[in-house]
Amino acid sequence: MNKRKNIKAIVSMIGLDQHVVGGVVVASILKNAGIEVVYLGVYQTAEMIVQAAIQEDVDAIGISSHGSNYGQIEEMMGLLKERGMDDVLVICGGTIPKKQISRLKEKGVSEIFTPQSTSESIVDYIVSNVRGSNGGAN
Amino acid sequence: MKRETDYGHPVKDVYTPKDIEGLDYERDLGDPGVYPYARGYHPKGYRSRLWTQRMTAGLGSSVETNKILKKYREMGERGGMCVICDRTFAMPIDADHPIGRKEVGILGWPGASLLEFEELMDGIPMTGQSVTLLSTCGSAQLQLAYIVAYAEKNGVDLNEVHGAAMSYPFANCFGQSDCQPLDLNLKLFLDSSEYAIRNKIKMRSAILSQHCKESGANDAQALAVEMAMLNELCGLLVNERGLDFDDVAALPFELVSVGMRFFEEIAKMRALRRMWAKLAKEKFKAKKDKSCQLLIAVHTSGRTMTYQQPLNNIVRTTIETLAGVIGGCTAIDNATMDNAHAEPSELAARMSLNTQHIISDETGVADVVDPLAGSYFVESLTSKVEEEAYKIWDEIEDLGGMVAAVEKGYIRNMIEEAMRERQREVESGDRVIIGVNKLAIPPEDDFEIPLREVTPEDSEKIARRMEEWKKTRNMGLIEESLFQLHKDAKKEDRFNLMPSIIEAVKVYATAGEVMGVIRKARGLSYDPFEMIDCPFNFE
Repeated sequence: MNKRKNIKAIVSMIGLDQHVVGGVVVASILKNAGIEVVYLGVYQTAEMIVQAAIQEDVDAIGISSHGSNYGQIEEMMGLLKERGMDDVLVICGGTIPKKQISRLKEKGVSEIFTPQSTSESIVDYIVSNVRGSNGGAN
Repeated sequence: MKRETDYGHPVKDVYTPKDIEGLDYERDLGDPGVYPYARGYHPKGYRSRLWTQRMTAGLGSSVETNKILKKYREMGERGGMCVICDRTFAMPIDADHPIGRKEVGILGWPGASLLEFEELMDGIPMTGQSVTLLSTCGSAQLQLAYIVAYAEKNGVDLNEVHGAAMSYPFANCFGQSDCQPLDLNLKLFLDSSEYAIRNKIKMRSAILSQHCKESGANDAQALAVEMAMLNELCGLLVNERGLDFDDVAALPFELVSVGMRFFEEIAKMRALRRMWAKLAKEKFKAKKDKSCQLLIAVHTSGRTMTYQQPLNNIVRTTIETLAGVIGGCTAIDNATMDNAHAEPSELAARMSLNTQHIISDETGVADVVDPLAGSYFVESLTSKVEEEAYKIWDEIEDLGGMVAAVEKGYIRNMIEEAMRERQREVESGDRVIIGVNKLAIPPEDDFEIPLREVTPEDSEKIARRMEEWKKTRNMGLIEESLFQLHKDAKKEDRFNLMPSIIEAVKVYATAGEVMGVIRKARGLSYDPFEMIDCPFNFE
């Protein structure tokens, strides 16, 4: 539990996506698990999310996505890399087709949670893979 | 697994006459075609008019959406067409906006100018079918203007055009991409609705419970929110805009989200007809029978479409479509098996339209009106959902109505609590979803369905086209019309902006320009995202 209490994560939608159900639910799942959540909400650009990640010094970024061309998630991955923030764990969740899952993983997204993923699987993944954990990048 | 309704009321193992004690046939149900219309509006039901069998279109460019619309007609769409706006037009911002260009054409039609509407409707008749354009409040005024301008330019008799182009002001409380403030949305709703009513344009306004339900609400909450919205918005048109209720009553159309709770969904639709009829007659003193008949269309629930084992969704859509039909509706656009992955592929759309045709033409369920009337169970459910909805609606009224309930956070809290409860139920197994929390299979064993997608390159292409096209317009005419719009938008809220919006649309001012100028006149930033400056100088 202590470890979870030290984890800080952004939960955000990206671009013009205003489907907030997934983001709101995941934010409360993470909070209940003792993870500190910075909920950015809607209309966040790739740049805004990366800026928030720097300012808040988060360990993980979670992007909730409902229907997209995924260009803005790729753009965010590019910005993180550019600014040497490869150690921030990025996960995405939502209605993301299989083909896009492999594409996003190639760009550095660690894991994609498709609809109806369990709370346990999401929390466990973050706890085990975030920087400083055994499985994560240091 | 819990045995209770979607809104948490226990379901018994058997229902008997005791469960409908006190139900009075004439008072509470009435024959089909008779007040309070629980059994429907037409004595002969679907024999006199089959429901409109349609599929919602919108993806990529206007030209591509036009192709999809034509394809749907070949696939058996009948009675009407339905188009949904993309995220940029929903705001509305233009395709070449710095954010817009990254995702224009996603999940809908990028209708940011009259040119886009002309391309959308190319070779598609404006009359002889209903034309339904789903959007948000900001884009809805543009859509009404497109209809008026297009009819005029193409010699179409505007009196012959019918459908829906306007939208209610609360969509962004329910997950719709719309960044305009509530007071502005409310004004635009009242302006466009008043304009259509006064000019006898048979374009309706969407006042929907669909978004509310799809963002997490249960059936009783969705019903309550729908009634609260109808009550408040119709009340404003009567009291603030001085319109006759019998004219206002022809404005709204409701899109009910029909999910998997088969009997409850049917009960909800029957209850809604009765609740509206009573509101119209008792509160608004409707003089015409027609005014007591709320137009109810059905969208089968996208939320129930699972990502896992997508072929199961064909079965779900069938059950939901059947519930919509038995519940008695005017139109259905059903969800598609690929809903949790992407916009409908050709195969998925065909399956969903076929589902409607199989139900209408093979099963015989359309032959008899309201076939479940008198069922102890269904009548009991109808009364129960109505009772629960009245309680929630009362709470909304106690807060001061729908606008107040939104501003006080009541609606948001209600929805968020409902969505968290649903997640908890799915995880605990109280709510079973086949292929998800029961009979799940590894992702690699899942059937691969074909998907239709929009790439970042597709979006950029639409943006570039708009950028280039914008330079070819007659800017003198556009500035002149926007100057007038700016002047009008500075007047009091009751001054109707539709005439000047129509003039601006006719000379090809874009959605971003029209909305930007209105925003600026009201002291807001021209661009809701503050990334572009107003290119016009009105001082």
